[in-house]
This record gives sequence, C-alpha cells and structure tokens, in this order.
Amino acid sequence: MKTSIVGLGQTEFSRKSGRSELRLATEAILAAMADAGLEVNDIDGLVRYTWDHTTEAAIMNALGLPALKYYGETEFGGVNCCGAVAQASAAIEAGLASCIVFYRTLNARSGVRYGRGERILSEEDGRLINRQPEPPGDVYSAPFGLLVPGQHHALYAQAYKGHYGLTDDGFTDMLGSVAVAQRAYANRNPRALLRDKSLSLDDYRAGRIITEPLRIYDYCLETDGAMAMVIVSRDRARAMNVKAVDVLAAGQYVHPGSVPMLLYAPQCHSLVPPSVGADLFGKAGLAASDIDVAGIYDATSMMVPLALEDFGFIGRGEAQDFLTGGGNGPDGALPVNTHGGLLSEGYFHGLNTIAEMVRQLRGESPNQVTDAQTAFVTLRGASSMVLGRA
Amino acid sequence: MTGIRPGDEFLKEPFWTHLSEGTLHLATCETCGKAHHPPGPICPHCRSFDIGWKPASGKATLGSFAVAHHPVHPLLADQVPYTITLVDLEEGVRMVSGIPKGMEADLRVGMALRCEVVKIDQDLSLPYFVPVEGV
Repeated sequence: MKTSIVGLGQTEFSRKSGRSELRLATEAILAAMADAGLEVNDIDGLVRYTWDHTTEAAIMNALGLPALKYYGETEFGGVNCCGAVAQASAAIEAGLASCIVFYRTLNARSGVRYGRGERILSEEDGRLINRQPEPPGDVYSAPFGLLVPGQHHALYAQAYKGHYGLTDDGFTDMLGSVAVAQRAYANRNPRALLRDKSLSLDDYRAGRIITEPLRIYDYCLETDGAMAMVIVSRDRARAMNVKAVDVLAAGQYVHPGSVPMLLYAPQCHSLVPPSVGADLFGKAGLAASDIDVAGIYDATSMMVPLALEDFGFIGRGEAQDFLTGGGNGPDGALPVNTHGGLLSEGYFHGLNTIAEMVRQLRGESPNQVTDAQTAFVTLRGASSMVLGRA
Repeated sequence: MTGIRPGDEFLKEPFWTHLSEGTLHLATCETCGKAHHPPGPICPHCRSFDIGWKPASGKATLGSFAVAHHPVHPLLADQVPYTITLVDLEEGVRMVSGIPKGMEADLRVGMALRCEVVKIDQDLSLPYFVPVEGV
C-alpha cells in the first residue's frame, strides 16, 4: 500500500451520548480533518461498515460536502476494520479519490446493543421466534440459545482450552493476564472509560461468569460514540505538516471460520491459516518479529491469544506462558492493546484499536512503547494490517 | 430447551420435517455422497446441484461447549444456565447443538456423543447430542 493515515478524530467514549449517531459521526469527522490540517471540503471519499446506521449520503448532506468521488462499504463490523483501510487505500491508489475518511458511529449502549438477543429474535404470542436463514444467529443455532457474539467467543475459548488441555486455573490466568494488563494500560489513558477502575488478577478470578468459560472482565464495553480517520496517498502525506503513519500492508479475507461468528470451521482453536500472516508480513516487507506493538481486536480477551498464535508472534499453544509471563505488558516482548483495548478503553468497533497504533507510531500513546516503528493490527481473523512510522 | 424456535415457514423444510418424524437427516450430495451443513443449494465439495437427504448416524464428538449463565433476552431469564455445544458429526459436518435441560453431563472436548432428537411440539423437534457414556 502507498497510503498514510494523517488524521484521527473522535468523540468521548460514553454509555449514553445523548446525541444521534449522525451527529456523533460529524463531530468525529470534523475532528479528524482538523487533526490532519485539511479542509472539510477536501473529503472526496468515505468508507464505512455495512452495519453502520448512517449512510454516505447522510454524511455528505449533513456536512454539506460538494461531492463524493468514491464510497466503499465493508461487510460485518469491527472484524473488517483493516479491510476498510485496505479498501480506502486501494481506491486512492487507483485514483478514484484522494482523501478518504473511514468512520464508525454507534450508540451501542444507549441504542442497539450487540450483546442482546433481541437483535435476532422476535416475540410472537409469548414465543421467541428466529427467522435468520444464514449464520450468525441462524435458525440452526438459535434454538439452542446461541444468539450473540459473546457466546460464540466462549465456544472458541473452550475449544482452545480443550485442544491444548489447559487446566481451569491455567486457562483463567491466561485470559486474566489479558484483562489485567489492559486495565493497567487503561488506568494511564485519560480517554478510557475504565481509567479510574483498577483490576487485579484476584478481582478477575472472582468475576461473574457470563458464558462459561468467560467472565464479565473478558468482554468488551458497550459504548456510545464515534471515531474517524483520514487516509491520503503517501506522497500527499509527505507534503503535509502532520505526523503521518504509513499503511505498509492491509487486507480483508475470508477463511472457513474467519467469517464472523461462523462456527463451521474444522478447528476452532485458531481462526486463520499461517498463510494469512505470511502474506501480510510479506507485503509489508517485514516479519512478525519486526513488530514493536500490536492492536488486537478484543471483543473478548480470547481473541488476543488466538491472534498472537495465528500470526506467528508466538508458537501454537504458547499463549498461556506468554501472557501469564507479561509478554503483552509494557515490558513484554510485544505490548498489546496499549490503550486498554475494547475491554477497558471503549468500543468503537476496532477504530480505536487502529487509532492507538497510529498514536504509538506518532509517539503520542499514554503507554508509549519506546521508539515504536512498526505496529500490527488484526481483527479476529477477518482483516489485518501493518503500519509503519513515516 | 430455550423456547426459541425457527419461524413456521422454515419448519416446512426437509431438515425440520425429518426431525419432526424423529430422525436427524443431513443435506447430502447425490453425486459425491458427502454431507454438508447448514443445508445449501449446491454441494460445497463437488458443486453438484443434486442434493438429497440422508439419515445421520448420530455419532459425533464434542468440539466445544459453553454454558450461558447470563440471559441475553428477558424471556431467557428462567432458562439459564443452559449448555450450547459444537458437535462434529461422523459424516464430516459440524452442527451447533446443546445438552437437554436438566441433564447432568461432565463435558470434555473430544468426548463421544450421540444424537437425541427431542420433541418440542408437533411442529418442532431439535437434534440434541448427549454423551455416549456416563449419563
């Protein structure tokens, strides 16, 4: 890729924004354009998730943009975060547009809640009816009560635990090490929703079971707010007076099991085959061992060990030792989710995961990794990206 | 048994009518003989459109399981905890299933299971899978 991220903008993370999703989106986009030092009318392209409730036309009309030369949509939600950046980059390289904003706006606590079964069930005469022909949440799985992403993640977690024969205590401490390390990062991050709440491993172990084997602290936060980022060509970024971060490689893909919440893969203790990481790092001209800091889409804590193994940062089955040994912490071999992650900063559907990696490469993270030059981002085996300091 | 059911329009399809008659059938290719799930319009193995229905042996292994303690819908408040399973059938397909309410089972990934079709009412039966031993 020959593009760069040159601006970030966001609203506050909250549980009740008190504003419409369209309003939140426009606030984030204005902030991102100001951060990039560009005029709002410079926007000539938009990319978004199909799951976003706003539309390109609504954004264009609300902001009074003169025109859009390109707009793109990626299927699913946060798992395709890097896919949206790949799409914007491809469009810019193809000359379809020159300044593309990727945005996400959601009142995911005060509005539609992803953790609730009401999304795929209707109540008719006191009965719960499901009418989804295709996964996720389809007629073949909903009658057994498999309804929301958090339950799917519990199935992945148990599959991993069983495949590697982890003990209850060993497994608990592996995921607890993710939650506790990320909370400590969030405690130093003024933006984080949980900046003032500490979390010890004992607190974690005593946490309420939501869907066994996952506890309350394994789950991301339901959040209101919006985020936007500005993507331009690398040449244009070099001519701007900003701290640009280069997109070295980015892609979206589908493998059996990597489609969000599709559980028909032959094995559930990994999400993508090794070729995905090899392809991504090859395009970036780097190896996994060259990466300084990682942002891993942590809808649940379980996604962190899976991603670390899938992309070759550690060997298969090594996550327990790596995580309980602090490998993801500030002094570890690969600091992960230094903003606190979706578990403890907030949930902008992965955009805040990318934003933190951009901040690391700008030298602006609240948990700055010394001289970070390269960052990795992945979203649950459905998209991934390598970023580099410009 | 969560009380959740497919809309009536789905229950007219062979997967569900076979279950109502008491047996689990799988969508199976008439050309290459391989099964797939969920049912689709084309065989994902040989791409034949000639798809029929064959009874499953009912033999499976446990791929994973999760126990829902938190009700994600108000009408599930008196159903939790319930156990969701991923089962790998002898025919090479994976299904989402569960452990029938009230059954005590010491579950381990990889253990042998057998299908038990549970009648909910005259229009709906569900394919649960229970441990072969130790029940």
